[in-house]
Amino acid sequence: MGTFINIIKEHIQYRHQIFKLAFTDLIKTYRGAILGWSWAIIKPAVTIFVYWFAFTFGLRAGRDVSGYPFFLWMIAGLIPWNYMNEMLLAGMESLIKYRYLVTKIKFPISTIPTFVNFSKLIIFSILLLIVIIIFMLFGFMPDLYTLQILFYALLAFIFFNVWGILSSMLAAISVDFTNFIKAIITAIFWLSGILWNTNNITNPWGKAFFLFNPITYLINGFRNCFIYKVAFWQEPLQLGCFCLVLLVLTIVTVRIYKKLRKEIPDVL
Amino acid sequence: MNENVIVFKNVTKKYRLFNSRRARLLSVFTRRIKYITKVAVDNVSFKIKRGETVAILGKNGAGKSTILKIITGVAFQNEGEVEVKGRVSALLELATGFEENFTGRENIYLKGDLLGIPKDEIKELEKQIVEFAELEEYIDQPIKTYSSGMRARLGFAIYINIEPEILIVDEVLSVGDKEFEKKCLKRVNEVIEKNNVTLLFVTHSTETAKKFCKRGIILNQGKLTFDGDIDKAVELYDNSIN
Ligand SMILES: Nc1ncnc2c1ncn2[C@@H]1O[C@H](COP(=O)(O)OP(=O)(O)O)[C@@H](O)[C@H]1O
Ligand SMILES: [Mg+2]
Repeated sequence: MGTFINIIKEHIQYRHQIFKLAFTDLIKTYRGAILGWSWAIIKPAVTIFVYWFAFTFGLRAGRDVSGYPFFLWMIAGLIPWNYMNEMLLAGMESLIKYRYLVTKIKFPISTIPTFVNFSKLIIFSILLLIVIIIFMLFGFMPDLYTLQILFYALLAFIFFNVWGILSSMLAAISVDFTNFIKAIITAIFWLSGILWNTNNITNPWGKAFFLFNPITYLINGFRNCFIYKVAFWQEPLQLGCFCLVLLVLTIVTVRIYKKLRKEIPDVL
Repeated sequence: MNENVIVFKNVTKKYRLFNSRRARLLSVFTRRIKYITKVAVDNVSFKIKRGETVAILGKNGAGKSTILKIITGVAFQNEGEVEVKGRVSALLELATGFEENFTGRENIYLKGDLLGIPKDEIKELEKQIVEFAELEEYIDQPIKTYSSGMRARLGFAIYINIEPEILIVDEVLSVGDKEFEKKCLKRVNEVIEKNNVTLLFVTHSTETAKKFCKRGIILNQGKLTFDGDIDKAVELYDNSIN
């Protein structure tokens, strides 16, 4: 508990640096590329286009969902996944990327995944705005349910921040961990229902699996805002399970942080 | 006025050595992984007052850098207590720790932010830093175009000019050319004389140590074996080598 409070304190104390570094991270990621900033948008836009093309003309799997074109259903999940994918990897590699903050100056290492997360969140917010605009172009205006994306974005931010702290420490210790996560990321993608509807699952084991899959919860959450028009309090079981998973992840992270914090500078 | 700014009380630092990175990763989850413990700093105690100039002498691997890292706050002791008061400026491996795609000038501001120095203060120091680093038009070029000497110059210029209260110098001044080294040493001298800065100095040249420091600490395999007058320390140390 003391360690947890310490982490929170470090964040409050270094809030200015966190924001400064979030922008530094953004600039760092995109400067030097010819198209610079626009890459942040172009990359996911191309992905969306390719999927749209494949599903509309090729695979013919594009049936409407709840009265929305399949394409809209898809991007309502794919854009949040884009952020999660970035955080799964960039959060994990944040300590290695910002090694000098660990080994050269006195700096709280728990805040390093946080500012990387903020940097990704900025791009994510812009993309969410674009999604809202695409929905409007298709004639679907935002409503009160859409407002819930703030709630789910907050949950996603918290979840992946904890993940970032945990995974970045393990990645700093060994590339085996990094390689393992990179190897299973496609599996995570297909096992979280980003391109197919997990609500259609009837097998009880399958149901339980998706109930405890935090990524599924978040993806469905964003679709609740855009497609299903469900309020978050109408799914208390799902929310409860997500919070349980988050709690367990946090406890594990804090314990490992306590164990490793002082050793991390020695191994980086 | 002359209060203790650095206090080490029975400080011990151990490094854990594993067979492989993978073994270290597994050790996070199970106790069954074997490792060797290397004691780098062994039950060391000392007090340093404001304005003191201290040379730390010792052979390679004696634990000098480890002690400086603990004072800087980038390494942590396993046992004992450490107290450090005041803004620490650590010249450790000067050529690293920049944002490669950022210009020298941007890096000055970034460093300032990270060290928690107010913006207007950095603005005032900017000119001084740029001048001292002798980078001229390169100051507005990305760091990745710099030679290692240029990086070291910029690093030194930043850390020496941000008005440290405790200055830590770890064998770094030999990276540039002789002339720059001289200039750096001169500047170090100015800073400690003018601002009553506490200096911790690690160097292989006992001559330089004598010139800059009044007090000497000798380390041998992590243990403190002498702490006192610099002339005595250098004499003992020189004898121990020969
Ligand atoms: N990150 C590290 N991991 C493991 N061992 C280390 C690490 N850093 C230093 N050591 C060991 O600790 C001892 C002291 O090192 P150091 O403080 O760098 O000595 P010095 O600066 O006096 O040469 C050495 O034996 C060195 O091998
Ligand atoms: Mg050393």
